[in-house]
Amino acid sequence: MDFRGAQREKILALLADAGGVTEANVRLVSQQTGVAEAEIWGAGQFYGLLRQDGPKTLVCDGLTCKALGADARKAQLESLGHSCEFFSCLGLCDVAPAVIGPDLVPFADCDRACHITANDPNLAINLAGPRDSSYTAFAWAKAMGADAVIDLIEKSGLQGRGGAGFSAHIKWKGVRGQKDPTRYVVCNADEGEPGTFKDRECIRLQPEKLVEGLAIAAVAIGARDIYIYLRAEFERERRILVDCVAKATAGPLGGLTFHMVRGHGAYICGEETALLESMEGKRGMPRLKPPFPTEKGFRDKPTLIHNVETLLCVPDIVLRGAPRFRALGRQEAGSKLYCISGHVARPGVYELALGVTLDELVDAAGGYVGTPLAFSPGGASSGFLPMSERNRPLDFGNLAAVGSMLGSAGAVVLNDTIDMAKAVEWQLHFFEHESCGQCAPCRIGTRWLHQALRDYLRGGDPVALTNADDVAWEMAEGSICGLGQIAALPLTSAQQYFPDFFTKRRPAPLP
Amino acid sequence: MSDTFTIGIDGEQLPARKGETVLQVARRGGIHIPTLCADDRLDAAGCCRACLVEIDGQRRLQPSCAWQATPNMNVKSHSPRVQRHRETLLAMYMADHKLGADGLPIHTTQGNELRNWALETPHKKLTPVHSPRKGRVEDLNPYISFDPELCVVCAKCTRYCDEIEAVNAITLTLRGSETTIATHGERGLLDTTCELCGGCIDVCPTGAMHAKQTPRFLQPEEITKVRTTCNYCGVGCQIDLNVHKGKIVQVTAPPVGETVNDGNLCVKGRFAYNFVHHEQRLTTPMIRGADGELHPATWEEAITFAAKGLLRIKDQHGPHALGFVSSSRCTNEENYLVQKLARAAFGTNNVHQCAAT
Repeated sequence: MDFRGAQREKILALLADAGGVTEANVRLVSQQTGVAEAEIWGAGQFYGLLRQDGPKTLVCDGLTCKALGADARKAQLESLGHSCEFFSCLGLCDVAPAVIGPDLVPFADCDRACHITANDPNLAINLAGPRDSSYTAFAWAKAMGADAVIDLIEKSGLQGRGGAGFSAHIKWKGVRGQKDPTRYVVCNADEGEPGTFKDRECIRLQPEKLVEGLAIAAVAIGARDIYIYLRAEFERERRILVDCVAKATAGPLGGLTFHMVRGHGAYICGEETALLESMEGKRGMPRLKPPFPTEKGFRDKPTLIHNVETLLCVPDIVLRGAPRFRALGRQEAGSKLYCISGHVARPGVYELALGVTLDELVDAAGGYVGTPLAFSPGGASSGFLPMSERNRPLDFGNLAAVGSMLGSAGAVVLNDTIDMAKAVEWQLHFFEHESCGQCAPCRIGTRWLHQALRDYLRGGDPVALTNADDVAWEMAEGSICGLGQIAALPLTSAQQYFPDFFTKRRPAPLP
Repeated sequence: MSDTFTIGIDGEQLPARKGETVLQVARRGGIHIPTLCADDRLDAAGCCRACLVEIDGQRRLQPSCAWQATPNMNVKSHSPRVQRHRETLLAMYMADHKLGADGLPIHTTQGNELRNWALETPHKKLTPVHSPRKGRVEDLNPYISFDPELCVVCAKCTRYCDEIEAVNAITLTLRGSETTIATHGERGLLDTTCELCGGCIDVCPTGAMHAKQTPRFLQPEEITKVRTTCNYCGVGCQIDLNVHKGKIVQVTAPPVGETVNDGNLCVKGRFAYNFVHHEQRLTTPMIRGADGELHPATWEEAITFAAKGLLRIKDQHGPHALGFVSSSRCTNEENYLVQKLARAAFGTNNVHQCAAT
């Protein structure tokens, strides 16, 4: 129950401005908003960036950064006197091992332009293309009318690019068909999946396309207010967006209101209902579905939530038509931003036909470094695949068919210098740390699996992993949201494809 | 949708009403589904996952505590998939819980629903997982204590504190496997908005929230429950005195829905029972004799003595020399009688009640 909705929404930002969760800050925010102190404390303690004791240098311990030496990097920085903390994922996998300063700005050696696909006007997003602030697609969409726009989205075959690959038009129709006249559009820019940094590039290079995509969506579903939930670590990207929005709303997008909402360091807030909870000033714990956000979303109003990249596809579909967009992909529609990092020559974001193979993607990234052993096709949540799958189309359907997923298309390549059991340990650590703790299968399961794997690495006896398949099964069946449902996948997939790494081994001390 | 209809659970057609959840329908129909986080007074949280069932047309298992019953739906609450889910989830809960010598979740004076669930369900034994949950170390409040080793993070206590009491003294804190119950700044409850109503103890399914005054591990057969009316105010809350060896060791609220207080109590009703067994407690009326000392008397003697005294004052000084002050511990009817005594028997309007300021 929440009698102070509007005030409640402010508490996380006020806490962040005050410097994080301390007793004094919580008291201050409570006085400013009238929200109970315990509620503010509990909400604040959920978020990594709010509960830090003092500003720290953050070293990423996501999969790519760990594979490329995050441990050594942290030790080196600490020996130089930096106060460091592991934090993942920072969304800088292309410059791994990534470090950002206490001001949330990347260290100088992690601050270089990302490799991207060269300018090609045929691509739907074309990151390297010129920025276009004419908002022509928006004007066309307005002239077309809402139904025609939604029809166009349906015909284009656009699937959500955030992870699930859900058909976009179903959400648009779902919101449009609601009786409630107040609706919202929310942009999920809380990119945090290890291996993923495409939304960052979208905002850096083509912010107008994002703003325009949001505006078209708003017109189509009948919304006036648009919220962009951006992870806090993307401070520079935030400034770019604020600037872009200010210019757009002073001009062609005058009737719309854009609101920027900051994330506070919780991976789970990339889950759409956890994101809504966070926007409402609460702990980012996913909601039970149904009701879905299209029916009851932000403030319990019908809400359309899309990932950044999904929205960037929209202007192109409006301008150049559905069939053309569809034809950019192979078995599924459109061109797709693939992130590639790990043991490849030029980690980066490459826009290719949806459904390219790993070999094609790595070709675009300058080839493998060393002898590739395994890859994770779509971020931590997609588990590991063996190189025998290098010719499988990287799309939603083909990866789901082998129990993996395209997810956010954050592909990570690991070469044969990597101990797969250790790679699994990094991933399980991540999920244990990022589980919201709400439901038992995920809260207990992520910890149990992580502990079992550590017991195995420490003692060398695979008996430690007995019952892991049962726990994994329960997490997949019983968890509320996608995080818990897939959190065991790194282990189960690695055991399936790389059984040699899970036999009796020499005991090894663990930190 | 008509207001009453039937739904199928495990092949049985059970009557359901619009707005009911699958769990409510199943319970009324005598089908047992385990739960830890459900309470009809609270919004469904669906977080303990114990009550997941198969619902035709749904790919995933769904929480019966939150799923609305609709006409013609079919539910499986004991299918092999649901059984495997329950057995595995229970094993995971137990790996994260303090177990007794019998290998089961320990029994507490308040019971332990996890133990009951374990007693009725076959389960594997998993390697125990070290729980990183922390309790508040120095909480000097006299009544309520929290043992994180027994907590299943169902959040009933925090939701009760928020949704029913609107006190918001406790909250979920931290994240993931560290998630636990805290106050603002990990303070003792006396330094928060807590009213020490103890509702968190009553709703806790496992005895993690417990009463400091009460022995922790009494067996049910060691306790006799005596239903009575709380006499701290006129509301008339029903309370259950938990009597052990002839002494009250705890006061609990009767089950939700059974009495006017609907499972709720305040700090006085729940915790302020120590006077009952206090050595200085008066157990008979006392009359001060000519020697200046108090002497035990019968009620008849005491009332007669008081009546004579009052009449004497009225005769000597008139009725307005008298004033009657009633207690807020009296019921409405008793207060009515006090004013009637004042007005009709003694002829004065000097009547007041301590809460009527």
